[in-house]
Amino acid sequence: MTQNADHVLDHLELFRGPEYQQMLANKKKMFENPRDPAEVERVREWAKTPEYRELNFAREALTVNPAKACQPLGAVFAAVGFEGTIPFVHGSQGCVAYYRSHFSRHFKEPSSCVSSSMTEDAAVFGGLNNMIDGLANTYAMYKPKMIAVSTTCMAEVIGDDLNAFIKTAKEKGSVPAEYDVPFAHTPAFVGSHVTGYDNVMKGIFEHFWDGKARTAPVLERVPNEKINFIGGFDGYTVGNLREVKRLLGIMGADYTILGDNSDVWDTPTDGEFRMYDGGTTLEDAANALHAKATISMQEYSTEKTLPFIASHGQEVVAFNHPIGVAGTDAFLMAVSRIIGKEIPEELARERGRLVDAIADSSAHIHGKKFAIYGDPDLCLGLAAFLLELGAEPTHVLATNGSKQWAEKVQALFDSSPFGQNCHVYPGKDLWHMRSLLFTDPVDFLIGNTYGKYLERDTGTPLIRIGFPIFDRHHHHRYPVWGYQGGMNVLVWILDKIFDEIDKNTNVPSKTDYSFDIIR
Amino acid sequence: MSSLSATIQDVFNEPGCGKNANKSEAERKKGCTKQLQPGGAAGGCAFDGAKIALQPLTDVAHLIHGPIACEGNSWDNRGAKSSGSNIWRTGFTTDINETDVVFGGEKRLFKAIREIIEKYDPPAVFVYQTCVPAMIGDDINAVCKAAKEKFGKPVIPVNSPGFVGPKNLGNKLAGEALLEHVIGTEEPEYTTPYDLNIIGEYNLAGELWQVKPLLDELGIRIFSSISGDGRYKEVAYSHRAKAAMMVCSKAMINVARKMEERYGIPFFEGSFYGIEDSSDSLREIARLLIERGAPEELMTRTEAVIAREEAKAWAAIASYKPRFKGKKVLLITGGVKSWSVVAALQEAGLELVGTSVKKSTKEDKERIKELMGQDAHMIDDMTPREMYKMLKDAKADIMLSGGRSQFIALKASMPWLDINQERHHAYMGYVGMVKLVEEIDKALYNPIWEQVRKAAPWEVAGTNWQAVAMAQMDAEAAALAADPVAAEAARRAKKICNCKSVDLGTIEDAVAAHRLIDVEGVRTHTNASGGCGACSERIDDILASVAMTAVPALQAAE
Repeated sequence: MTQNADHVLDHLELFRGPEYQQMLANKKKMFENPRDPAEVERVREWAKTPEYRELNFAREALTVNPAKACQPLGAVFAAVGFEGTIPFVHGSQGCVAYYRSHFSRHFKEPSSCVSSSMTEDAAVFGGLNNMIDGLANTYAMYKPKMIAVSTTCMAEVIGDDLNAFIKTAKEKGSVPAEYDVPFAHTPAFVGSHVTGYDNVMKGIFEHFWDGKARTAPVLERVPNEKINFIGGFDGYTVGNLREVKRLLGIMGADYTILGDNSDVWDTPTDGEFRMYDGGTTLEDAANALHAKATISMQEYSTEKTLPFIASHGQEVVAFNHPIGVAGTDAFLMAVSRIIGKEIPEELARERGRLVDAIADSSAHIHGKKFAIYGDPDLCLGLAAFLLELGAEPTHVLATNGSKQWAEKVQALFDSSPFGQNCHVYPGKDLWHMRSLLFTDPVDFLIGNTYGKYLERDTGTPLIRIGFPIFDRHHHHRYPVWGYQGGMNVLVWILDKIFDEIDKNTNVPSKTDYSFDIIR
Repeated sequence: MSSLSATIQDVFNEPGCGKNANKSEAERKKGCTKQLQPGGAAGGCAFDGAKIALQPLTDVAHLIHGPIACEGNSWDNRGAKSSGSNIWRTGFTTDINETDVVFGGEKRLFKAIREIIEKYDPPAVFVYQTCVPAMIGDDINAVCKAAKEKFGKPVIPVNSPGFVGPKNLGNKLAGEALLEHVIGTEEPEYTTPYDLNIIGEYNLAGELWQVKPLLDELGIRIFSSISGDGRYKEVAYSHRAKAAMMVCSKAMINVARKMEERYGIPFFEGSFYGIEDSSDSLREIARLLIERGAPEELMTRTEAVIAREEAKAWAAIASYKPRFKGKKVLLITGGVKSWSVVAALQEAGLELVGTSVKKSTKEDKERIKELMGQDAHMIDDMTPREMYKMLKDAKADIMLSGGRSQFIALKASMPWLDINQERHHAYMGYVGMVKLVEEIDKALYNPIWEQVRKAAPWEVAGTNWQAVAMAQMDAEAAALAADPVAAEAARRAKKICNCKSVDLGTIEDAVAAHRLIDVEGVRTHTNASGGCGACSERIDDILASVAMTAVPALQAAE
């Protein structure tokens, strides 16, 4: 073996050595009953055909490579956005390990979250004891200001009643009676991570506004001039929320960010571990009731939360992850109207700069075809931006997209001459996308890290925008909202376009006559 | 330096240049270099002009003798394409330092040449003089001569330091370097009756390759290309060609004319921009070659190719005509000859509302008039505000221009398409025309223009800068219209000679008072055109118009 202690090779190199190559080849030949390579090739080619696509789209039961995650993931995302709050997931601990690793891999930060660690006996006899012990331990060990309870499938299947359990736990002294333990039922077999986000946000406001599960008086709304802001489940939450704060500050708005997880997922390395950092204070969460209006940046992340807020007498406004000039215009105009203040010159200049940047380089994007997949709101925001740039969002796919969402995307297509040959695919998965990329090829694919397999198989260059992004670092620090955010998305798209041009012109003495320094 | 100034004088004395031929002896001595107005936003220098003219020679090592400024800012900045060597893209410079400035940079230059030859072994090294070594007295001619003898390899001095004048002069000095040191120094292995030189074509975006297949099909050999995708050897034996086509009229006219003079190679000035121009050029090529001994049947084959290619291109363009119906174009272009593009755009069904004539010769202007009609707007210098007004008044839907005007166009909220050197698409030949039309279509229908033109949604109508500027212009125009005295004063205040700051009124008065009939008379009395002389054409126009109005007045008096 070539591995030696003086110079240890990692897997990138080690298994390319002749010994390993030989070994792997022998293994394949002698033990793996290899198929005829020609047959493998035939099937591979067949999977690119319209005929295969028909079969693929006829799939009824099987989901292959889903572009969505589960409710509890979104629940955790929402919960950490409140001051000193630990998400407590009632259910099996393995699920919780997933959420923590998922967020840590995306944000490159620790993600604190606890579980009631239900096991087989809990599944049979109910999880009450796990709730009682779990809340007590969490309260004692991590000293949170609030414990936000959500569930996994296991607890939901056996029908654990969170309201009753938490009450009982408080009676048994797990946590003080007046201690805040909001809850939300978040089964993974319903909806997706955006639903879980929605449920937890609603659960928290319900808790503070509607009498803390009948343990406190219901708050009475005393309208003030503040506005609430909800970002929704968003992989760019760190950069986006900071940008939104900047924008609202420039606008002179008196605002509350609800579910502000921008600090807890971007803590400094200065010798102090912050299990909790930043976040919406519990007081602000309660007082959000009095606000004049609530703005949600993601309609499909707040499908239940917004009507709940509206029912308490506030105006609610929802956007679809607005990206680009028109999207940001609409957002700022709404803020301006609600707070009754004009949009200041500073933002007008930022707007002009984005328009200028688009005009400078739009010729490279104009007329290009894109496939997009991701969460419903992100798909809408990106598609609208591409149409603004004169590109065609040829395939728009959301595994967690509803029929109603699809109609909205179609309406967007219909509003632009560049949307005429575009199609929306609600409820489809990345294996469907694979067929689409073969039979109706596009120039670029926009999606999360999992899109790299599609990039490899279909040769469609991937622009990484979405959640999760595991294999590129720190993109979550950049906003995609606001004019500055639109600039970032523009640059990411352009970078890939130019990288592709370079990649296609860099063979010495063959294609490099076009390997130019000026693009 | 004496030889350099002699060369410059010689270049100025270009009989092939119509503009030059019309000048008086004294004017010609001043040269055609428009002395750059101090304080103005200037174009490139003579060094830059020389470099861009020769840099497309692909297998040559281009060594820039000077401080880092000259090569540092110009390294690989042109979109010329090579089908072979890429050494032309490597940035070679002597990068001289303070010590060199004090003690002279000749030794460093010599060593640099040696190192290039040792490490890269190119067929030739071109050494470009720049301002600093020229000022400290580095004699690159002597160094190149010594290096040539020492290493037995052509080392060509290109003596065109930046301070001697503008880019256009540099183009010509580059041509002189080729004439003096390269052309005629080698012999081809064989010749054919179909050998053609192409002069002044740079293969930007590889556009020569869009024409070459047609020439190949006709059996016409691009014997030597000066300089797009050219090779040193080809240029060295280019004097054995049968005929030449000169593409960019002003850049290398001295090369074409002197090759005709010295080697009897007839040339014509042609263009591959636009369908009819391409056809005319192919015919001219065939005609010249036949004149020089190629078989008559070449013309028949050429006509067949023309007919086929025209039909194909027309068919492709026809599909755009409905989309271009009523679309108006403002053309602001330097390098690409205006009239050739005018013809091309008209073929595509676009209406031209104006064209710049900044670098056009008098003949060019005549051809534009011919194509666009007498009432064509020919624009010398247009401010962004004026551009915006043209757009706003629905006089133009799109502006086609060079890269530097891009930003003006954008700020003026005007759709824009690049047709000069920094473009990334090739517009030459029949296919190039289709490509241009396709690109215009894309630019016209790009949704960003709507966004660019639209004010921010929160803006109150009439308060953005465009609206303010327009209102101001309208107010000024209205004020002048209401007040004929002020209008006349404004008309007379128009600056004609920038160097000596002479306005139209002064010149008109002098012409009337002294019955002046020529530019020299005007200069004597007003000092106008006493500087760079660039305004002499404008003065000619004034003389003509004064004469026109004066005649009936005299008749009435009689």
